[in-house]
Amino acid sequence: MPKSLLIISRQAPWSGPNAREALDIVLAGGAFDLPIGLLFLDDGVFQLAAKQDAKALQQKDLSANLQALPMFGVDELFVCADSAAERGLDPNSLPLEEARTLTAPEITALIDRYDQVITL
Amino acid sequence: MSTLHVLSHSPFGDDRLSSCLRVIGANDALLLSGDAVYALQPGTAPFNTLNTRALNLFVLAEDVQARSIETPDWAKAIDYPAFVDLSIHHDKVNSWL
Repeated sequence: MPKSLLIISRQAPWSGPNAREALDIVLAGGAFDLPIGLLFLDDGVFQLAAKQDAKALQQKDLSANLQALPMFGVDELFVCADSAAERGLDPNSLPLEEARTLTAPEITALIDRYDQVITL
Repeated sequence: MSTLHVLSHSPFGDDRLSSCLRVIGANDALLLSGDAVYALQPGTAPFNTLNTRALNLFVLAEDVQARSIETPDWAKAIDYPAFVDLSIHHDKVNSWL
């Protein structure tokens, strides 16, 4: 049984490479059937905002890759409820329907459950 | 399972520390390295927050020394070999990059 891996993505989508790199790790892990989870924390929840358009920034759309996660066998998707609320996002109307909303104590338990954690 | 959380960014103008404190578990430990040791600057909000939380709190000695920060008695200053020991004695390390 391979070790389980939790990726915590906590950077906004268009200001640097971290959001994309976190997602790349998850997609690669999913392609190899690793038990992998993805948690959106802090500004990372902005990756889930609806109707993003980074064409003018000449960057590829992240949301298409996010929608592909379940296809790659990654269905352990989580959103921090506090982070979303602080940033005016309704966690129940995010485009990534598979993502479950977690409270802080639930996130503590989530981190505990995985063998390894990478925070980007 | 226990997690060693490692912070290396300044807590001022950054929310890694506050998010970490929100999700850190009772069996976990927190290590401050690099600019994260500025959280131990007396009289600041991060200092007061850490003071009121009964955490397993560690700081890298050379980083507090370089920044002229005194280690309070509720934190433990350690060197790199002790950092390695600490990493081994937890099930995993979560570096807040």
